[in-house]
Amino acid sequence: MTADPNAATQSYPSRPPTPHHDSPARYLVPALVAAAVAVGLGVYGKVHDPAGTAFNLAGFSSTGAVKSWLATTAFFFALVQVVSAFMVYGRLPGPSWSATLHRWSGRIAFLVAVPVAVHCLYAFGYQTYSTRVMWHSLLGCAFFGAFSAKMLLLRSERLPGWLLPLVGGLVFTALTLLWLTSALWFFRTVGVTT
Amino acid sequence: MKRPGPLLTLLAGLVLGLFMLTLNVTSGTKTLSSSTQREASPSASPKKSANPSPTPTVTPSPTPSKSPVANASYAGRTGDDTASVAVTVRDGKAVAYFCDGRYKEAWLRGPVKDDGSMKLTAPNGAVLDGKIEQGKKIRGTVKDEGRKYAFTADKAVKPSGLWRATAKVRGAKIDGGWIVLPNGRQTGIVTRDGKAASAPRIDPETGAVTVDGQQLTAQPVTP
Repeated sequence: MTADPNAATQSYPSRPPTPHHDSPARYLVPALVAAAVAVGLGVYGKVHDPAGTAFNLAGFSSTGAVKSWLATTAFFFALVQVVSAFMVYGRLPGPSWSATLHRWSGRIAFLVAVPVAVHCLYAFGYQTYSTRVMWHSLLGCAFFGAFSAKMLLLRSERLPGWLLPLVGGLVFTALTLLWLTSALWFFRTVGVTT
Repeated sequence: MKRPGPLLTLLAGLVLGLFMLTLNVTSGTKTLSSSTQREASPSASPKKSANPSPTPTVTPSPTPSKSPVANASYAGRTGDDTASVAVTVRDGKAVAYFCDGRYKEAWLRGPVKDDGSMKLTAPNGAVLDGKIEQGKKIRGTVKDEGRKYAFTADKAVKPSGLWRATAKVRGAKIDGGWIVLPNGRQTGIVTRDGKAASAPRIDPETGAVTVDGQQLTAQPVTP
């Protein structure tokens, strides 16, 4: 069939799959960014001189209390994340705005966790003097790496169906373990105080 | 079109993080404790002494040290993990407590040289030789009853620290010492009329402890 050179070009609704679609870059870039974030945070924690400083939020008795409650808030929103994710994937009955709930509860959880992490890194750095502290340091770095990966993966279409839930699950697991190795410890050692 | 949401979220987090970091770097250390250990100024800030203002300046420390060595507390374990060691440094003097939580203990005192090295001694003959490394930790040895223990004590941030309580409980003279490590672990000995035994747990925020049914309040130890 002859093509008319003067005809306006049109974009067909179904383009033949370009090599770009299946390129490993879609996985590599998020994975590399995740690794860079995790390792970068760890290196900063190790190299930076821990300052032992505090920031005081009105109404709280100590920095430990501020961070523990902020971390608990983040964990609460993370739970909302899991439930809303189940709704988005149809495993739980949910409202039509489940996806919006998932996105926003995730954003809140992440942004609430950031000041806690900044303080942890700045005041204590990356520590390994006890098992609890070592896991917390490791997971803290891993959490932000995993979260970055999850965010970047979302930009790709046609991912294998199990990938987003898996990475999301990793993010949630990391945050849970982080909470257990810090806020829970604080509440048990010092008390459930504000 | 790729959704902008995820990248914007990451960016927001990054911006927030950097903002908080800037706050931390530029504001002074607000020490949590009112009466307990004085925290040394973070090593990042220049030591402009003699101005203990609490407003956000780069000089924190409400009681600037009268010697070039910063006031600070350190706590850690011996290399063989059998005992805890805590050292409080103030104005060029140090007091240390070596305690295995069962029956071995020693209170040591002495001066701290300008370069951070110290040799502290105890009435029972125990000796602590140590050096403050870059203001972050003390590495040294404790010689007690013929045995030598190597130790590393990291800078202690509240609620970790060193406590002592002396009182008369049920007719017995009580002398208790507690080391609370940064990881929350407590090591303490209470001597009753000279007989040493494991100490009960202390509240690391207030110093409250109950010995033989009587509530006592231990005090933070300073040289």
